[in-house]
Amino acid sequence: MLSLIKIEWLKIKKYPAFWWMLGIVALTYPGINIMFYNVYQQISTSKNMAGEIAKMLLGNPFAFPETWHSVAYFSSHFVILPSILVIMLVTNEYNYKTHRQNIIDGWSRSQFITSKLCDVAIISFIITIVYALVATVFGFYSDSSSAYRWAEQLYYIPLFFIQSFAQLSIAFLLGYLIKKAFIALGIFLFYNLVIENIVTAYFTYKLKMDGVSRLMPFEMSDRILVAPSFVGKFGNDAKATYDRWIDAVPAQIALTVVFTGIIWLICYAVHKKRDL
Amino acid sequence: MEPILSLQGISKSYGPIRALNDVSFQVPPGSVFGILGPNGSGKTTMLSIILDILKADSGNFSWFGQPGSPATRKRIGSLLETPNFYHYLSAVNNLKVTQAISGRGTPEDIERVLETVKLSHRKNSRFSSYSLGMKQRLAIGAALLGNPQVLVFDEPTNGLDPVGIAEIRALIKELSAQGKTIIMASHLLDEVEKVCTHVAILKKGTLLTAGQVDEVLANEDIVEVSAANPDHLRTVLEQMGGYSQLKQDGRQIQLFFPIGSANMEEINSYCFRNSITLNQLLLKKKSLEAKFFELTND
Repeated sequence: MLSLIKIEWLKIKKYPAFWWMLGIVALTYPGINIMFYNVYQQISTSKNMAGEIAKMLLGNPFAFPETWHSVAYFSSHFVILPSILVIMLVTNEYNYKTHRQNIIDGWSRSQFITSKLCDVAIISFIITIVYALVATVFGFYSDSSSAYRWAEQLYYIPLFFIQSFAQLSIAFLLGYLIKKAFIALGIFLFYNLVIENIVTAYFTYKLKMDGVSRLMPFEMSDRILVAPSFVGKFGNDAKATYDRWIDAVPAQIALTVVFTGIIWLICYAVHKKRDL
Repeated sequence: MEPILSLQGISKSYGPIRALNDVSFQVPPGSVFGILGPNGSGKTTMLSIILDILKADSGNFSWFGQPGSPATRKRIGSLLETPNFYHYLSAVNNLKVTQAISGRGTPEDIERVLETVKLSHRKNSRFSSYSLGMKQRLAIGAALLGNPQVLVFDEPTNGLDPVGIAEIRALIKELSAQGKTIIMASHLLDEVEKVCTHVAILKKGTLLTAGQVDEVLANEDIVEVSAANPDHLRTVLEQMGGYSQLKQDGRQIQLFFPIGSANMEEINSYCFRNSITLNQLLLKKKSLEAKFFELTND
């Protein structure tokens, strides 16, 4: 396993698109959070009554320990960036025919899929580090008085990793089966940004079948990182909804793990049989 | 001696097209085994099957007496169809990947093979910046990593200039002299004839013949003779007998004998007794090209 990771790291670290992705993620994660932080600042610093109420209601979503949750939620919307890289990494192998050469040189077919699983894990790990750094900086910067609470809610770090790994696995599956980077990317973006949102909204609001929505491929893991806690502070209904979401997180984690497991089992099974 | 590679009844179809049809043969250790065939005859399909890139529909194969596996592939240096490398990596980094996967060779070995294939001066350039010939050289270099005892080369001289072709031919002979087994697919008959000890000929997925080059080619002895007066020579030779066929090509006459039965001294003295002085007397094997056309023509 370690040797597979080493080989994949050699492939990844010399790939210019990897550094581009990392650079863009390193700008986007702080960027989106700075945007929301500024909105919060504007509301909460106004001297009138509304500002005071807002401050009381919202708390500070960027102070420890809420920063782990808030930054995870806002950052997780940009899974598309690492997804592009994941799709490129697998379709490159077809382009360069190295998916054949790796086998010719002595990998088993399942080792090849494991190596790609390592790719997805490495990228998920790296973006999780970026997220954790951004959350830490926000925590200290936005309210140093609550810094002593930094160790609370640290579980959002592994949750961010699980969600990233799950959604990048979907990107991998598309790249793996479709083989062509641009077609796979197009389908991924169109499904992620358009189709699933429509279908999920239709089931949730039109048919009142939230039980179906929570099983949609992206929605399933989206519900691991629910909206920050302040959304539950606008009345009893909001509180009830927020509590229901939070209570459902363990079940969503279980569903996500099973679904992601199935994705990889499909890849192993297909690769064992197919002509390369 | 146990064969290095043994194929038993390998068949493979792509939809309605039968790419390989019940192909069986064995590659003895230490041989340079040429696989010949026109374009689309199934050469690359066959090599792909023995390297686990394609799955055979039926039949099986074994390397070193064992069923093909990652462990057996690690003992073989292979170049299949095209040089397959990461375009954004340098030659050295590409070979590091090959080395790490195959477990063949050491970091020093990378320098050695780059020296062998004359790429040392460009070892840190990206693969994408290489010419076709350089890419081919790198692929051959990758196959040589760790000095494997068995090499599989699919069209090894593709994309090379005449000097490069001669160098690769010399390299194959040198490797063969070291006792390595080389399996080489090619449609360049001259190339195969110059380096191979064994040959298998494929046509539309069917194995036409396989064996030692001498056996496959030489099923007839051809004796070429000529004299100052070819017509007189012909008349005299027609009375000699013992051959199966006589052909005249301008001033030159060819006599075809069953293999091993041509007696050069006898022919010479017969002509001399009939007052003809030969100015040429030559025993020829049938060329691979002639044999190839004979076998593959409908």
